[in-house]
Amino acid sequence: MGIVTRRGLIRRLGAGALGGAAVLSGRGLALAQEHSDMTGGQHSDMSQPGQLGHGAGSLGAVGTVDHGRNGFDPTKILTDFDYGETSKDRSGRTVHEYDFLALDKEIEVAPGVFFPAWTYNGRVPAPTIRATEGDRIRIKLVNASAHNHTIHTHGIHPAGMDGVPGAGEVAPGEEFVYDFIAEPFGTHLYHCHSLPLAQHIHRGLYGALIIDPKKGRPDAHEMVMVMNAFDTNFDGSNEVYAINTVAFHYMNDPIKINAGELQRAHVINITEFDPLNSIHIHANFFHLYRTGTSLEPDEFTDTISMGQAERHMIEFTYREPGRFMFHAHQTEFVELGWMSSFEVS
Amino acid sequence: MATITAGSRRIPTWLTGLVPIVAIAALVFVFLVVNPIATLREIPPVEAIAFERTIFQENGIELQLRNDGPDPVRIAQVLVNDAYWDFSATDANLGRLETSDLRIPYPWEDGMPVNIALITSTGVTIEHEVEVAALTPEPNASTLGIYALLGLYIGVIPVAIGLMWFPSLRRADKRWLNFFLALTLGLLVFLLIDTVAEGLELSAATPATLNGLSLFALGALGAVLGLMALEVKLNARRHGAQTGSTAVGGLALAYLIAGGIGLHNMGEGLAVGAALATGETALGTFLVLGFALHNTTEGLAIVAPLGRANEQRPSLWHFAALGAVAGVPTILGAWLGGFAYSPAWAALAFGVAAGAIAQVLWQIGRAMSKDRGLTSKLGPAGFIAGFMVMYVTGLFAA
Repeated sequence: MGIVTRRGLIRRLGAGALGGAAVLSGRGLALAQEHSDMTGGQHSDMSQPGQLGHGAGSLGAVGTVDHGRNGFDPTKILTDFDYGETSKDRSGRTVHEYDFLALDKEIEVAPGVFFPAWTYNGRVPAPTIRATEGDRIRIKLVNASAHNHTIHTHGIHPAGMDGVPGAGEVAPGEEFVYDFIAEPFGTHLYHCHSLPLAQHIHRGLYGALIIDPKKGRPDAHEMVMVMNAFDTNFDGSNEVYAINTVAFHYMNDPIKINAGELQRAHVINITEFDPLNSIHIHANFFHLYRTGTSLEPDEFTDTISMGQAERHMIEFTYREPGRFMFHAHQTEFVELGWMSSFEVS
Repeated sequence: MATITAGSRRIPTWLTGLVPIVAIAALVFVFLVVNPIATLREIPPVEAIAFERTIFQENGIELQLRNDGPDPVRIAQVLVNDAYWDFSATDANLGRLETSDLRIPYPWEDGMPVNIALITSTGVTIEHEVEVAALTPEPNASTLGIYALLGLYIGVIPVAIGLMWFPSLRRADKRWLNFFLALTLGLLVFLLIDTVAEGLELSAATPATLNGLSLFALGALGAVLGLMALEVKLNARRHGAQTGSTAVGGLALAYLIAGGIGLHNMGEGLAVGAALATGETALGTFLVLGFALHNTTEGLAIVAPLGRANEQRPSLWHFAALGAVAGVPTILGAWLGGFAYSPAWAALAFGVAAGAIAQVLWQIGRAMSKDRGLTSKLGPAGFIAGFMVMYVTGLFAA
């Protein structure tokens, strides 16, 4: 007689459980304060009920990420555009020079969850390279990690500057300078192209490459949102989804924007293992500029899906102050960290 | 030669016995302080957590966890059905074998599966699948009463009914008496196999570091040795100073059988209680009837040794006591299973039950071999009948 062998058979008898039913309302259970013993009293804003339209209740990670220890802060990454060391060459062309260091580094991707990342300059996503169409970009990559790496940019450049095995791959302890002209204008990206490819990308070797049109664009509050994910247990599916690495970061620290001000977000999908990621903004619509390669919008929508390495520029304006969510509309990703919010004032 | 003897005589025996203990203490000290094998452990830590108990409450889920691996584990996040969820822990850092209670205020749904994944600081996920979520009964007067009633139905009452075979056994001739004793034997062999099988499965379900098989074996050997000691004591009382005498008397044997069956029934109660509490089972009429039929034959087994002609008729309170010894543990088991279940304790309890039944088998076997009961005309038939009765009635409770 026992638990193990008979349970399957017993269940089939199925004549009304002794225990009785429990259907729970389950929203905003006031237990947020209880985990002070493990998190030093910090907890996510989401555990305070009634703040957000979706009734997030107790969804969310417990505790906070130590950005100081990580060496980067997603809030700062959002608006951190790196023009490099700029100078003019003999022809009068603007040159942007960057020093990149490939570095193995453990980073905190959700509170208390550490991931053995491979990084450029110790941060994930790597620095957002920004230049104007026709400028010259020179990136010196020094490899201080344990594996071969490259910088493969999405743009138009000579074969020798492609950053693939056989063309600009850098062995540990060595270096290489990627030298190319910034074209075409748009929202682009770069990533490591060493093999095995999925491993080199997923471990954190990627960043945004933004090339502005010569004519310029209207003034706006600009942001970089790299949609990424981490397979923390290395089973081929992700445990953490985010924009700019840290799960639920922009829920705990909402992005502060102004009502009436044009917002321009460069949204880049580098999610590994899932065929699609997406972005949906609440209570608003955005103008979509596919790959940012046009000055006229392609579409007016509130949700857009992207495969890996697809990226778009989106523009929107919030009319009224308030708190507005934005997130993937693969809701599975939402609950695994890709949930964010704007604080419009 | 002489000098060596003289030399070793100077050191007291207790001191020489202490030498290896001091040496092993020194070794432990060296390993803890110097850690000479540290260079061998550059690989990631082995993280394992055993889910000892899962409690579904009105406002969430409580998990009782134990670090079941060689390395410390820090629980960083909790996923419920693939969503990060708020939680609190009595201690999120679990050293080797340490325990922690986790509370997750999750709006679980009755009757649906729940998947809980703990994410450790290294990003490892440790999953726990609950097939059917159901409110875990709280130990209060009402639920204790329900479980007691359950124990009464499947344990106490059937055994008491079985005892009512005593008058007919008294009148049965020796051939039929042997039949019933052999039947008892067959029945107990069935229970022994059943108990061992369950105990071994529970051992496998026990956290690896707690070594369920050893707990099961400890329970079994403890029961055998304990009952052997009890038997010697009973005999000593019966025969006065005549120690070393064999076979116990009919009434003592009846008590031993009742005790063994009682321990088995405790395991039975434990299993049913745990299955009900974790929503693994629904309490159908058929299930209760199956157990009742199954256990009625146990009553017959208890009174079989009292039917022998040379036995005096025991007073009525003995029957009440025999019924209580065999039946009441079902209630205790149901309570334990329902409100304090853990595979480690269950493995130990099933070990005790298996040991007790084995010991009782030995007793009856010895008593029967004395008058060649088992090889008599109806002996083998009785044995097979006993086994078959348990098998067939067991089908109803399966």
